[in-house]
Amino acid sequence: MRYITIAIVGSMIFLLSCHKAQVPTAEVNVAQVKEITLDPNSSAWDPVSLHVSKLILQDLVEPRLMEPSTSEVQVKAMTDGNQIAVRLEWMDESQSDLPGPRHFIDGCALQLPAKIDVNVPAPQMGETGKTVEISYWRADWQAIVEGRADTINSLYPNATVDHYPAEAKSLENNPQAQNEAAARYAPARSLGNRREGPREQPVEDLIAEGPSTLSPAPNAVSKGKGIRTSNGWAVVITRPIPAGFSAAVPSQIAFAVWEGSHTEVGARKMRTGWVPLILK
Amino acid sequence: MARVNNWQLGREMSYWYPESRPQKQFAAVFDTNKCIACQTCTLACKTTWTSGKGQEYMLWNNVETKPYGFYPLKWDLNLLEMLDGQQWSERDGKPVYEGSTIFESAPAGERVLGWRPESEDYAYPNVGEDDCAGGVNGGASQEVPHQMAWFYYLARICNHCTYPACLASCPRGSIYKRPEDGIVLVDQGRCRGYQECVRGCPYKKVFFNPMTSTSEKCIACFPKIEQGIQPQCFENCIGKIRMAGFLNTPDKAEADNPLDYLVHIKKVALPLFPQFGLEPNVYYIPPIHVPTSFTRQMFGPGVDKAVEVYRNAPNDQDLTSLLGLFGSSEKIMRKWKRVGDKAIGMDENGKELVNVPFKEPVHIRPAFDKIYQITRTNCP
Repeated sequence: MRYITIAIVGSMIFLLSCHKAQVPTAEVNVAQVKEITLDPNSSAWDPVSLHVSKLILQDLVEPRLMEPSTSEVQVKAMTDGNQIAVRLEWMDESQSDLPGPRHFIDGCALQLPAKIDVNVPAPQMGETGKTVEISYWRADWQAIVEGRADTINSLYPNATVDHYPAEAKSLENNPQAQNEAAARYAPARSLGNRREGPREQPVEDLIAEGPSTLSPAPNAVSKGKGIRTSNGWAVVITRPIPAGFSAAVPSQIAFAVWEGSHTEVGARKMRTGWVPLILK
Repeated sequence: MARVNNWQLGREMSYWYPESRPQKQFAAVFDTNKCIACQTCTLACKTTWTSGKGQEYMLWNNVETKPYGFYPLKWDLNLLEMLDGQQWSERDGKPVYEGSTIFESAPAGERVLGWRPESEDYAYPNVGEDDCAGGVNGGASQEVPHQMAWFYYLARICNHCTYPACLASCPRGSIYKRPEDGIVLVDQGRCRGYQECVRGCPYKKVFFNPMTSTSEKCIACFPKIEQGIQPQCFENCIGKIRMAGFLNTPDKAEADNPLDYLVHIKKVALPLFPQFGLEPNVYYIPPIHVPTSFTRQMFGPGVDKAVEVYRNAPNDQDLTSLLGLFGSSEKIMRKWKRVGDKAIGMDENGKELVNVPFKEPVHIRPAFDKIYQITRTNCP
């Protein structure tokens, strides 16, 4: 009787472990759900099929990444018919979300062809006349969305500053003058190039037609949320489902991951080629 | 990589883009012998351009004491250690650089040979201030002449290089060199803060702003340049060590252009680390009391001649008069001439902007003033 019990318990453990360890699919299968989720921890992700993308070095254009870092990214995707939600999870032992000299930021991105076509753009950021659309998540933007203050002390806690002209006593009752004074010393922000500072989403929408052509997309359509896991990041990015995408018309998707502590930034990244994106 | 001509090296070299020289090139001459490291230039720049959040540590202009001053730490030594064999030879009486530039030494996967400073490297902007080379043994400071213990002040801004490494390093093309005056700028609307320019600039004159996540640098006060006025760090220089203007290539040197005269004709002003290969456009009159075994690496093989020329300035009325124009006007002097014992600074049309006597008149006052019936005394 004791051996039978052990056998039953053993079988249950085996079956349960089989349930947890999904067999990855070769493509990204998009599950159709009633309601998508932005929460990387949501149980709604559990039944969704898993794709594991092997990451390769960006070693085609200078500056290249010469030493590999993140080896793979786990991908799941779901859609409610309007929006697609893509969950990316990867290992990164060190959390890098503080910008600074030689401090680079953990991040990830997904890339889609702007138009579904048999002739797909080059996987490395598209090519002339074949635009790609990119949703780019960054760990520091996540921290800002979650309340990190727009002060130097949020980056350097022990910093002391004598004086900012924008905070002069003569301007203290004049918010407009304060803003103008601050803008004079922050030309990027004045030009609308909001790389840092207050923002509503930790994701940026971009378009590209090849390396070095990355530029802001006309509209901000992506949302995102990233959380720190025990040994890396889990990030969900949502954006409108690609136009024309259906069960009969698949598309392509590609991914990139930046490990800040490995001085990965810009072109120095781990990436994938195109992966089939299929509506299930 | 394209092949371009770098006259400072006496040869062609490899560069990321083809040669494209501006219509005129912003340039400057700094006389290191006159600098007192008062840092007025540093503050003039700081208050004008870098008083915002994220710019706290930035000094687009800084003055450091050589040999032990650096901002950021070891900015020059780090690269000098990486750059192999910086040998010069001579062909047809002209120096030729036989070593590799930072473009020619770029490792696989990189556009230039470079390195990245960390936050801590910027934490000591005046490290080594007034520290001299060698020791001053007991009582030696009281002896005249002094032992050969030396230091000098090196004022630094962006060199607005003819072949900028920051520009070559940027994978996005966010850095550009203005065709009208050669000023090198970071497009703050396009920069995405990859810091490749910070890595690539050997002079470490591009700075990452963590509050905007873009890189920023000296803009040569271009709004002033456009009005014919010298930049803030020039106009505010107490020691009158600086002169801003526009420099021609040596084959088109004009004797009545003050910078051409100093750089090409007298060869008294030299580029900073020409062996890096950027053809920097800030030129230094080297310190005359420093062993040229040291300054030769910093300013190139012309340093012995430059020191000789500068030492001879009291016997060279033209040179003396031109040096007197330094700091004499806020206006950019496109032309100059000596008339008798006066130096005349002019605009590009030859209109006089300033005239400076290069020998101060000597007045001898009698001890007793007959008019006021009073004896003068020297008041402390």
